[in-house]
Amino acid sequence: MSLKSLTKPWQSMSYGFLDPSAKRELRRKMLKSVAVPGCQMPYASREVPMARGWGTGALQVSLTLLNPQMCVKVIDQGADDSVNAASIRRFLARVSGAPTTLDTLEAHLIQSRHRIPEEFLREDQILVLQVPNPEPLRSVQPNMSIARQMHADADYGRMWLQLYEQIVRSGRIMQGASYPSMVNGRHVMTPSPIPRWDVPKLNMSKHLTILSAGREKRIFAVPPYTRVEPLVFDDVPYQVEDHGALTCKRSGAKGFFMNEIPQDDGTSAFEVSDSEYGVKSIRQRDGEAVNLGGTWYKHGEMPK
Amino acid sequence: MSMVIDAPRIVTTKPLLVVRGVSKTYGKVVALHDVAVTAYPGEVLGIVGESGSGKSTLLRMMNLEETPEFGSYTLDLPDLRGNLFNLDRFARRMLCATRIGIVYQNPHLGLLMTHSSSGNVAERLLIAGERSFATLRAKATDALDASEFPLDRLDAPPIELSGGMQQRVQLAKAIALEPALLLLDEPTTGLDVSVQALVLDTLKRLQQGRQITMVVVSHDLGVIRTLADRVMVMRSGRVVEEGLVDQIFQDPQHAYTQQLVHAKL
Amino acid sequence: MAYVATRGGERAIKQSERLFRAAMGKIDAARVTEVKQALPYLVDRVMGEASLYDLDLAALALAQTGGELYEAVLLLRAWRTTQPRLCVAEPVQQQDLFTHRRISAAFKDIPGGQVLGPTPDYAHRILATDVLEGTPFVPEPVEPGAKPSPAYQPSVSAWQAKNDLVDLPKPESLHGNDIPDLTREPLLFPSKRAHTLQSLARAETGGVLALGYAAMRGYGQAHPTVNELRLAEAEVVVKHPNGTAFSAGRVKISQAEVVSKQGEKLGLGFAATMGWNEVKCISAATLDLNSKGAPKGTPTEEEFFLYHTEGVESSGFCIHFKLPHYVTFQSSLDAMRDAKAKSVDVAKEPVK
Repeated sequence: MSLKSLTKPWQSMSYGFLDPSAKRELRRKMLKSVAVPGCQMPYASREVPMARGWGTGALQVSLTLLNPQMCVKVIDQGADDSVNAASIRRFLARVSGAPTTLDTLEAHLIQSRHRIPEEFLREDQILVLQVPNPEPLRSVQPNMSIARQMHADADYGRMWLQLYEQIVRSGRIMQGASYPSMVNGRHVMTPSPIPRWDVPKLNMSKHLTILSAGREKRIFAVPPYTRVEPLVFDDVPYQVEDHGALTCKRSGAKGFFMNEIPQDDGTSAFEVSDSEYGVKSIRQRDGEAVNLGGTWYKHGEMPK
Repeated sequence: MSMVIDAPRIVTTKPLLVVRGVSKTYGKVVALHDVAVTAYPGEVLGIVGESGSGKSTLLRMMNLEETPEFGSYTLDLPDLRGNLFNLDRFARRMLCATRIGIVYQNPHLGLLMTHSSSGNVAERLLIAGERSFATLRAKATDALDASEFPLDRLDAPPIELSGGMQQRVQLAKAIALEPALLLLDEPTTGLDVSVQALVLDTLKRLQQGRQITMVVVSHDLGVIRTLADRVMVMRSGRVVEEGLVDQIFQDPQHAYTQQLVHAKL
Repeated sequence: MAYVATRGGERAIKQSERLFRAAMGKIDAARVTEVKQALPYLVDRVMGEASLYDLDLAALALAQTGGELYEAVLLLRAWRTTQPRLCVAEPVQQQDLFTHRRISAAFKDIPGGQVLGPTPDYAHRILATDVLEGTPFVPEPVEPGAKPSPAYQPSVSAWQAKNDLVDLPKPESLHGNDIPDLTREPLLFPSKRAHTLQSLARAETGGVLALGYAAMRGYGQAHPTVNELRLAEAEVVVKHPNGTAFSAGRVKISQAEVVSKQGEKLGLGFAATMGWNEVKCISAATLDLNSKGAPKGTPTEEEFFLYHTEGVESSGFCIHFKLPHYVTFQSSLDAMRDAKAKSVDVAKEPVK
């Protein structure tokens, strides 16, 4: 027996970039976060070859979960081909050997910045959301140690008060994206800066969602079939963006979250924000056989 | 025929608040030594003494903001048993939010200065679980109205209000949930004399209208005389004298009380 | 078919990276050596902030990023994080430091003596423009003193402790893998002492200076006196599994100890970092000195300064604002337009 036969050949990088101790910690923290839905679990959060704030948290989760049998999709603001999504997808494929896809239906793992695809996600799919600020209480309590205690006490009075104040001042709740939501009736979480349009997709969904903030070193999760309820008053209904009646000028798809494109004549045109859904709609319109999945929203409405 | 004389009957109302044997030291300084307090439902108890006498520490303990080294604290309320000093943080917070109201001398301690006045009151209701916006507004308005706060300033932030108005917002916040106990810590100290009289009037009317049990801490005998039924005189962390307000002020027994009363007169 | 304006992103990314790299041109071993020799203080600073002591890698990172410091530190940290942690070295004691420079502002002279060592402190800061005219700048040779200063010295605070002027912190009895490691655990508050010192050691120099300076100017409670500042080399002593302790080499380190009057004793603030970086150590020690009992939300509170001086995190978050945010923007726009459209302000409606 020689030393050579006992050791693996030298490689400049571990499989999946992260070393085994980092992956072990991430697996443990993911399990914890699944066990206590919506509760932020602190983790060491390693530096990765990408700047903090560019999806390093979700990247660490993806790197830990991926293997060559899994197909990965990466989106940024709904688009597969935005600069950052392309860069992350290239990196994930390079270090894990996982095949990539743009099609939501084919993906096993979807890393996303600020959107949930319009097509249903299934039990065998994992959504990993990039989170810039994991603390829903930050605007009412910037000190993280105190905020942590408030979560422990389920002390969300200030959070509610903020919503009250918005209605008093502006006549409606002004929260745009990152709408604070109660998970499993216990922890208030930020769903990450997804639009309000996407928050109901998390409620009792079939897929697992993991939210990870690399810079702030917090991981939390929404396990399958878990209640996610946006904080709303009984008599002031939750309002998603007013996009239900808009039509995509390219694909003709109607009733989905749109990107507004300012036009030279001062008006606005709209395009489906979920870029691959738009592409598939165009192909279908042009007569190609396309597998267009079922969508959460039907005719611009989320069925109750 | 023999005369039958009824035995003297004693009215036995159970006290709402009982504090026993409370002691607290800060290093070598004795803040409170073996202090006992009793307050009956609907009664206004005054605590008078100079600064450093321990009266404010005692009030903070009744609001569960501080814990003594020794002593017990009970409130005779349904679902509430045992020494309140032993409650965990969560139970303390809920009890303070729902059953005890407090008005501080310094409104910055009790109010969010840049939120709306109605929001300051609504926060209490939100903590207690109220989730209807219309109800929140209605109840906040009622409480502010009861505190004789001008309703056209409903959504003005306290920072834009006068000192007297700020105390009315604090008061509205304190009574919004109809607490069993209302604690007042020098509620009118620092206000103009005329404003002081108006706020005292409001407190008096409110107390008579709602029969709230109150504990008022003040160094000002005038405030105590206006509001309180009974008074405790404190000095150096001890209770030196206790009795009905008229009795104590007309016929003080303890040398310190005599000094206080005469200084006032 | 171009669906989104940025389709073809892959190619654009590649070309923009090429543009960036083109500015630096070919990088070879000679370039790295040149950087290492010409810019020792910059290499030190980068090694300290990366918490990775390797002159060659640090010089390479500087060469590869063209001196974009945040990028260089990130590059080193990302490399470092994948490396196995082989063992934990023995603690370094102050009196065992091979000291190049050691000064105290608290006393005129100190046991072991003041050692000025290398410093530009008293130099006139005149730009040697002659170099550009073709006359090289050749430093004058150093003349050795008649008597060499001692290489190892006691610490000033040890003398102060003996004279009951200061209470030295009790060393925690932690060994080897039990010592909390910031790179393997999240920073939580109140923070562990080890985490605080590690965090300051790898903090971004400019950030530590900014907050430390705020404390010095009066936003802190304590005014620092430099008790002892050292630039030194420390032996990295590791234990072989068979029990033999040996030195694996020397690393340059800097440390600062600042004091201020706190009641009847002196309060102590401490910081140390790898490489020679005096400004960072004095600022960090000042923050440490001021952190005890600092009110929440003030620059001298531990949570505040540790979070905000982390260079990789802060610079990363800053540049992330360059990423597209049109979904979040759309979401806010929707709420704004709707609020504007609502002619009746519910708050102004009569209460039912």
